[in-house]
Amino acid sequence: MANPVGPLLHHSEPIDPTLWEWLSTKINHVFGLSPGVVIAILGTFFVLFPIVVMIVAVRKRREMGR
Amino acid sequence: MSSDPSRLQNMGPKKAPKKGIFYGWYVIAALFFATFVAIGARQGFGVFVKTWEQDWGVTTATISIAAATGWLVNGFSQPFVGRLTDVYGGRRIVVWSLLVMAIATMGVATVTNIYGLIALYGFVISFASGGISPATTGVIIARWFEKKRGVAMAVLISGGSVGGMIVVPFLSYVLIEFGWQTAWLMIGGLALAFGVPLVLIVVRSSPADMGLEIDGEVSENTPETEIRVRPVGPKFAEKWKDALNSRPIWQLSVAYFVCGITTASIAVHFVRWANSEDISTGTAALAFGVLSGINACGVLAIGLLSDRWQRKNLLGAVYMVRGIAFISLFVLPGPIAIWAFAVIGGMSWLATVPLTASLTADVYGVRNLGTLFGFTNMAHQLGGAAAVMLFGWAFTAWGSYDIPFAIGAVTLLGAGLVSFSIREKQHSVRYVQVPDGAAVDPGRSTTDEA
Repeated sequence: MANPVGPLLHHSEPIDPTLWEWLSTKINHVFGLSPGVVIAILGTFFVLFPIVVMIVAVRKRREMGR
Repeated sequence: MSSDPSRLQNMGPKKAPKKGIFYGWYVIAALFFATFVAIGARQGFGVFVKTWEQDWGVTTATISIAAATGWLVNGFSQPFVGRLTDVYGGRRIVVWSLLVMAIATMGVATVTNIYGLIALYGFVISFASGGISPATTGVIIARWFEKKRGVAMAVLISGGSVGGMIVVPFLSYVLIEFGWQTAWLMIGGLALAFGVPLVLIVVRSSPADMGLEIDGEVSENTPETEIRVRPVGPKFAEKWKDALNSRPIWQLSVAYFVCGITTASIAVHFVRWANSEDISTGTAALAFGVLSGINACGVLAIGLLSDRWQRKNLLGAVYMVRGIAFISLFVLPGPIAIWAFAVIGGMSWLATVPLTASLTADVYGVRNLGTLFGFTNMAHQLGGAAAVMLFGWAFTAWGSYDIPFAIGAVTLLGAGLVSFSIREKQHSVRYVQVPDGAAVDPGRSTTDEA
């Protein structure tokens, strides 16, 4: 008998490794970017987003005087 | 009592025009980022499975015990963190959850065997990420927004969805370039260095913490004469246990249980089903991408509509639409079904989250919202875990997903009917308001039986 929890154990979230392999090939094909460049672009976004939000929120609070 | 929401919203203190962007939207932006990294840490798991197999010499099933444990732990953590949110405030819980999750995520980089992975990912990260779920973030949003609660929730949810789609590819590229340890260090480091300070600096548990009113309304009354009157709904409960004696929480939870069944089963079995229909993995991936894209737009549209129309009708419609998508999977030929499902299913995919969270807040108020929505979220996660197993068993036994999909469709149509049956105009503060202190004890309500 097959392992009853096998299907659950396969992977618990939507990102399937096989699926990602295909996707990454397609992304590379379309954009022609190396992994290093993609890391730099996305990494910059991840760092800038919270910094920008913090700055504008602090400015807003100063405007409100709180 | 009036049933016209526009009239009811004009009750209470006289309001002056708002100035600039309401601070609640900054709170949403900060919570968006917290959700973003939490989703990345959890959803990125699948990317590393093959690498761990090679490094540790174990099977996929062995590694995935950590994922299965995490699914259940995350589900059971929801009412608990929800309760803590009600008691201590959402900000404190999100900050601590993010801090624990960030340290544990970085700790995964030091793991050398499956036991460490189960301990850190299965228990610590999954439990902590329950504190950065709608059971906590949704409560904060519900306290900041009332008139635009639906769209505010939708922005947070769709943002998290899009965030997951960005973080996971990022982790994959880091894995390729620098190895899996660096990937976990980076995502944990991002959460620790930027997520925790961001939430600490920007987020406040409620507008009152900054001397503001909900929705950014400004009272024209002077502080000395002002009597703040917040609308109170007929089922607003002092104690969360009282709410469990009323019908709406069970109607919402049963429907959300079905939501868990149908989203989790598709998340895990979609590619396998496509392959069984002689559809390539690539086409399945593309279809799932289309579904995700349509979903992001669908959630925002539903959020906008839900602030104008009865939320229960939209919720019922969303379940019905998803039911039709499931029917297409076993009625139409595979190559057509996959695209029909992507388009029809995409319109309804995560739209249930803002509707369910907003409706729970409208009916029971925000005092015990964390506990109550945590309870509903637990139903969602347990439904998902059970469905993933049962769909797998069914496919193993019958070699086809037709019967599981038919069952999924029937449960969705049932969830739609249950949602339509919610008496929103009798229970929601948007339609019925009572004087503060006169909320009906849900356990003694007679309106349920009306």
